[in-house]
Amino acid sequence: MSTRLALWWALFAASVKMFVRNRVAVFFSLFLPLIIMLIFGVLNFEGSTTISLGIVDEADNEASAALFDGLAEYDYLEISEGDRQAELAELEEGDRGFVLVIPAGYQPLLGADTGLVAYAATSDPAQAQVAQGLLQQAISAVMSDSLNGSIPDVPRLRPPVTFESVESRDLGYIDFLVPGIVGMTVMQLGLFGVAFGFVQLKRTGALRRLFATPTSPAYFLSAQVASRLVLGYVQVAILIGIGIWFGLQMFGSWLVLAVIIGLALLIFLAVGFGVAGWAKNEDQAAPVANLISLPMLFLSGVFFPRDAMPELLRSVTQFMPLTYVNEALRGVMNEGAGLVDLGPQLLGMGIWAVITFVIAVRLFKWE
Amino acid sequence: MTSPSTASPGAATPAADHPPIIIVDALRKRYGDLVAVDGVSFEVAEGEVFGILGPNGAGKTTTLEMIEGMRPIDEGSAVIDGVDVRRDPREVKRRIGIQLQASAFFDELTLVELLDLFGRLYGHAVDPMALLAEVELTEKAKSQVRTLSGGQKQRFSIASALVNQPRVLFLDEPTTGLDPQARRHLWALVRTLRDRGHTVVLTTHYMEEAEELCDRVAIMDGGRIIALDTPQALVDQLVGRGFTKTRVERLANLEDVFIDLTGHELREED
Repeated sequence: MSTRLALWWALFAASVKMFVRNRVAVFFSLFLPLIIMLIFGVLNFEGSTTISLGIVDEADNEASAALFDGLAEYDYLEISEGDRQAELAELEEGDRGFVLVIPAGYQPLLGADTGLVAYAATSDPAQAQVAQGLLQQAISAVMSDSLNGSIPDVPRLRPPVTFESVESRDLGYIDFLVPGIVGMTVMQLGLFGVAFGFVQLKRTGALRRLFATPTSPAYFLSAQVASRLVLGYVQVAILIGIGIWFGLQMFGSWLVLAVIIGLALLIFLAVGFGVAGWAKNEDQAAPVANLISLPMLFLSGVFFPRDAMPELLRSVTQFMPLTYVNEALRGVMNEGAGLVDLGPQLLGMGIWAVITFVIAVRLFKWE
Repeated sequence: MTSPSTASPGAATPAADHPPIIIVDALRKRYGDLVAVDGVSFEVAEGEVFGILGPNGAGKTTTLEMIEGMRPIDEGSAVIDGVDVRRDPREVKRRIGIQLQASAFFDELTLVELLDLFGRLYGHAVDPMALLAEVELTEKAKSQVRTLSGGQKQRFSIASALVNQPRVLFLDEPTTGLDPQARRHLWALVRTLRDRGHTVVLTTHYMEEAEELCDRVAIMDGGRIIALDTPQALVDQLVGRGFTKTRVERLANLEDVFIDLTGHELREED
């Protein structure tokens, strides 16, 4: 028994070594997600933010004029003015990111609600969340400037703006992006890290060589699965670690996160070994792997929120495995959701895990 | 029905002083309508080098794989070292070493790591360096398999087949794709292994190789053995049937010229 365990452990260690020494596999499974994260998360988005802000001034007094002028000094705010109806219509059209309503009789007082209400476009909550933070900052700064003259020690202002239809947590795009990248990475690990490596062993005959020994190849298969499971966790940990360095916030439990990632890994490892077990060579595996992964890459909300998608498409793609994974990951990381809150997503993932496992077992052929 | 059509029954079975270590009887394999192996029978004596020859698709590899326990046997039986392959393929695999036609390994592992791993797969502790020394690959011990040349790969493949100190060694086209120097090098290795007491069963497309190495050869075609004897006896039978070569046998051939000009020394790009 202990020699069998030693054998299994040796196969496991060999599987890990083979993966780590395979530069192509390491690049695609670790560095590619990192690069995508950098491009989407840091270079592209956060650097070039301008917020289109419509102001509806219903107060039309000195205080509202001061707020208006103060906000106009911020370069990242593109300000236009109009009446409530017109501005809200612009918002609906997508021509405004926010509409700020300054209520009649507006007068900023310390410790009192300002009565400011901002309407945010719901089409892009991730962007809205970043923009909301910036807007809030700008308004706070303008208000403390105007109050600073009379009061030397500026106390904390009440939240100056009430935001409509935007969640109150202060989330950045990085908070939206990292869970999506984690989901994507798990999927890619299963489909490309596993399927291609394994099909190659099949095609070259390296797998057949194991048949020439008295050891059942099931040992090798289980060691492969286990090694990929562990490597998947390591990869996800690295990605999240780098995300945290870039300001990623984690509101939920790490244990819940680990459970979700484990389930996601099981789903996509089953898909990967299913494809690898079915395909005779890489030429067969590639189109199938792409056919499975590409729709999910773009329709499961990896990079962009799914709310922007047409209703029909959204309801269909709601049932894709990666959609459940991404929703669950964002639920725990962005909203601090627990296992119970994530019931529907976990159920969806569980059903997919069973489906993919059964299919993988049915399709699997050693040769 | 299953006895090979040979005029020399004395050599069709192994010499009496060497008991057979492989007994193959009426082996048959069918893929749909195609009968790949159609009633193959032969015996191999302990310490013998036995060759299976034949054109592509003759059923050589399928025959080997059934004997090795790598492929299910449809009909007939194979017994190696007293173990029935159909009954206990795992026990057979414990006693034999196999070099596959396309010898692939886990490319990212070093030779030492692989031999160690293969040892474990047999439940044996192995001395990787001693095995590598046997096939003259000591200097490649820490290299990954993907850096080996064709000849080195074949030699490593044989080293991997020796980890369990097998009684019988199966080599499927061990010299295909090798240059004449590497081929001669491998012949020398096979002779060394035979001298050390391993029984060797090999397939080849090279008649010269079969003449050089094999004590007896079986010639297969269409899934059957159509001749089985020592190489010399087979040649004698042919001549006895009145065969004459259209051209008089030359004293040397082009391969002799090639080896004479380029030498026996191995050429292997590292």
